[in-house]
Amino acid sequence: MTDLLKIVSSFRWQDAVDIIINSYILFRVYVLFQGTNAFRVLVGITSLWLLQEVAASLGLILTSWAVRGITTAAAIIIIVVFRNEIRTALQARNLKAFLWGTPHKEQISPLSSITDSIYQMGKKRIGALLVFPGKEDLAEVIHGGIPWDGKVSQEMLLSIFWPKNPVHDGAIIIQGSRVIEVGVLLPLSQRSDLPTFYGTRHRAAAGLAERTDALVVAVSEERGRVTVAKDHWIKPVPQPEDLAQILKKHFNLSDGLPEKEQKRERVKQILAGVMSLLIMTGIWFGFTRSYDTITALNVPIEYVNRPPNFDILDASTDEVRVQLYGSSALIKSLRAGQVHIRVDLKKATEGTNMFPITQDNIVLPPGVFLNKVSPPTVEVALDIPVSKELPIQIDWVGKLPENLALVQTSTVPEKIKVIGGSKILEKVHTIYTTPVRLDDLTRPGTLTTSLVLTPPSLKLATGTADRVTVNYTIVEKSALEKK
Amino acid sequence: MCKQSGAVLALLVLTLSAMVFLAEPRADENGSTVPPSQHTPSDSNSLKLLLSQAVMGEKVENLLPVRPAIAFSVGIGQVYCFTAFDPVPQPTVVFHRWFHRDELSTQTRLRLYPPKWSTYSVIQLRETDKGPWRVEISDQEGHIFSILRFSITD
Repeated sequence: MTDLLKIVSSFRWQDAVDIIINSYILFRVYVLFQGTNAFRVLVGITSLWLLQEVAASLGLILTSWAVRGITTAAAIIIIVVFRNEIRTALQARNLKAFLWGTPHKEQISPLSSITDSIYQMGKKRIGALLVFPGKEDLAEVIHGGIPWDGKVSQEMLLSIFWPKNPVHDGAIIIQGSRVIEVGVLLPLSQRSDLPTFYGTRHRAAAGLAERTDALVVAVSEERGRVTVAKDHWIKPVPQPEDLAQILKKHFNLSDGLPEKEQKRERVKQILAGVMSLLIMTGIWFGFTRSYDTITALNVPIEYVNRPPNFDILDASTDEVRVQLYGSSALIKSLRAGQVHIRVDLKKATEGTNMFPITQDNIVLPPGVFLNKVSPPTVEVALDIPVSKELPIQIDWVGKLPENLALVQTSTVPEKIKVIGGSKILEKVHTIYTTPVRLDDLTRPGTLTTSLVLTPPSLKLATGTADRVTVNYTIVEKSALEKK
Repeated sequence: MCKQSGAVLALLVLTLSAMVFLAEPRADENGSTVPPSQHTPSDSNSLKLLLSQAVMGEKVENLLPVRPAIAFSVGIGQVYCFTAFDPVPQPTVVFHRWFHRDELSTQTRLRLYPPKWSTYSVIQLRETDKGPWRVEISDQEGHIFSILRFSITD
């Protein structure tokens, strides 16, 4: 009871929005994919996933392992095999239709002119084959079509199938109110139970209907009979009204369905909506309301709003270890890049500044909470960048021959301008060269060498060369002693 | 009369003490001091302390630096910083501050006496002393007379 009160009291408006958005996404997936093969496979994969979770929770090692493998493979297979269905479902005419439209709102061409044309062709013994695609893409099943893109009219349909028309033998594809292709070749059905008097045209109608969700109407040239093929059925439709009803149902036009069926469809949709809401609420609670897992992450500190005249000279630490808790699903998927620690330097002053690391500095993904942070404070030393002219000194290494002495050196330039934090530069009095070996030097000469900037935060002033010329004088030690 | 003889006596005592003081060579805490070569009577207040010679050497013998150079092998064991001041208007102290790579390693306080004075400081060399060095020669106020740069090598 206490837990329930705790959950209710901590429920935010964002949580409600979260659940509603995801429920609607799930509902839309159902609406867009329902009736397609892809949807059935999607349901299958979800069932497999649930089975795997149950198997894992029961400790069935082999089963959960095997089901996990199948689920992973199936997820890839569904994308590859049903790419056309997915494409069709996602290829909505506009954003509104994608987000809001229901299959009931699909509009179809003037059905009466189509049905009239079909029965007229029947009477005149003109053979015809008309394809009304459903949700699935037909591109991979049909062949040899000629793009047409003409508005449906009785005269046009009759002229396409007129026996002397070169394209009259193929099928036409009617999408919406337009004939988009003519002369299309359809796959033939391999069924053996079709009546013997069915010719190639009927076998083509049945073949396409079997393989896709399209509705195909065939008009017999010999008998003038109108036959409709859909899914695995093929039947003669003698009355134009019946054909109109079948077409309306195919296009989900509400007035095409009997009232009982319309009501059933509405109940189905409401049920789907409620189920989506329940499923998402369950998932949401599972994801966010169990605080059973704790993890620790090392998160780098980001310094923001650094005053432009200051440089960060030093910081007591570069990263902070944060201990976080939340549901195991969220904690498992947590990555270091999702957690940010920001220290605002807006009010920082020159010298050492101490900043506490609290909940206010830490950006966490929703549903993940802070338990502990270490260290709880960070010290940041800020400094003003200044330039300073420093003498150059040669860093001699190695050994001169015993009888020789290095008595004089000079560098060109003698001094060099460097830029760095004022506090740093207070302690730097000399810029040294890279080590210069004495071993090979036997007589006075000149060489060039580069500079070593220590600490590395120092920079040479603009336009300053990083190489110097060294002039050196070497004499015999005996000559020195004579002096 | 009595007052006059008192003043003469005091002057005599002061002169004698000065002579004794100047005749005796003195050693400071860290370095060694060489005796003044000559005492030139002059108006000490109008002169300024001047560094006349500053050099690094392998040793100091007979009040002179031996084998002056700017790179010394660590094997020689010690290195000297020799300085000569002329004139020295009044007794004073100078410092030899030895820096190894910008880190103060040691400093030596050296006394100077009029009219001119030569003095030196020395450090013993260890393997860890290899690298670039500098010696700052400064007075009590921190005024730097000269900076000597040298290296301790293999």
